[in-house]
Amino acid sequence: MDVALLMVVGGVAAGVFGSLLGLGGGLLIVPLLTIGFNLPLREAVAVSLVCVIVTSSAAAGVYLERRQANLRLGMTLELFTAMGAIAGGLVAFLLDERVLAGLFAAVLVYVALTMARGQRAAPDVEAPTDALAEDGSLPDPGVADRHVRAAPDHPMGAVERLPAGLAGSVLAGIVSALLGVGGGIVKVPVMHLVMGVPLRIATATSNLMIGITASASAIVYLLRGGIDVYAAAPTAVGVFLGATIGARLAGRVHVRLLRLLFVAVLLFTAFEMAQRAVTGA
Amino acid sequence: MSWISLDPGESRGGLESALARVLAIGTYASMALVAIGLVLFVAGGGSPLDAGPPLSLATLGADLLAGRPADFLWLGILGVVGTPALRVTGALIGFWRGGERRMALIALLILVVVGVGVVAGLVTG
Repeated sequence: MDVALLMVVGGVAAGVFGSLLGLGGGLLIVPLLTIGFNLPLREAVAVSLVCVIVTSSAAAGVYLERRQANLRLGMTLELFTAMGAIAGGLVAFLLDERVLAGLFAAVLVYVALTMARGQRAAPDVEAPTDALAEDGSLPDPGVADRHVRAAPDHPMGAVERLPAGLAGSVLAGIVSALLGVGGGIVKVPVMHLVMGVPLRIATATSNLMIGITASASAIVYLLRGGIDVYAAAPTAVGVFLGATIGARLAGRVHVRLLRLLFVAVLLFTAFEMAQRAVTGA
Repeated sequence: MSWISLDPGESRGGLESALARVLAIGTYASMALVAIGLVLFVAGGGSPLDAGPPLSLATLGADLLAGRPADFLWLGILGVVGTPALRVTGALIGFWRGGERRMALIALLILVVVGVGVVAGLVTG
């Protein structure tokens, strides 16, 4: 009872933070389950993928309805993210958990530094409001938003450098499957900077793509017995509730302070994960 | 690649609205099942740190009628994982009906890739 409640509460916290900061839940859920509840990393990644699908599907529906997500572009790229995700899902079972922990720590440091840099470069910029769906859904690529915020939006037209975008999509799928994250940290910069997709469309389209990307690798985890329903259920319910609450709180919370706090949490978590990578404990 | 336009004026609004509904209904229905299963599970004194039972499609229906929490949970999780593929299937039908053969082919290929994932999971599992 207590553990279930704690997992729901942890999921709510991850959902609220993620929603307010425009982050994918995976960056928070995997450390929560591994460090907080001592779950094996691979199992935590599988649970995180389920949570990422939940929040992405809810948000993608809103983005599609508002015509912010580009269905054709998203589906073209997600063919390749799905390929990467399946490859990543299979590779994840071959890699030592210490390697996965090291990769996760590196991604956490990257995201923390990106957030900190965005904080300094654009102190007046709050979390992107368009990334917070009104129905409480959780967008994924907010950090990537900040990473590419300096780049100017391109005029509407055809996408550029599609082959490079397809290659980036494969990479995003692999990262998503290995680490249980949405992969927006790869997809949004690729779409915006490489393919010339306007930032808002890139963010929304990335969110649309997360569902099938995470789903492709989640299927591999599921059929290999990698998903534990008892751990997945309270976490998914918590994240879903948290994302809903976060969307309602948007605009009423001092996001700059929250972001600073979050950078500290990410760096602490990265240290913990790096320690696991080194010691295996 | 001019066939992928970024101009929202060229999008098929009806298809996108329909797909949005598929995603919303799939997500909320799946989460409702997970929530029911979680309540039953907690009420029965279960702990999330216990090892969960593996998925058994053969007994899923019968066990649901018997009110086994794990099967509500599994059905909800399957719904979550399957909802994006349902959206792609809806897009395939929509594009095909709208005469967009290239996009229909892409949707079909996505489903094929997901199918490859199923096979890979079964073979290596």
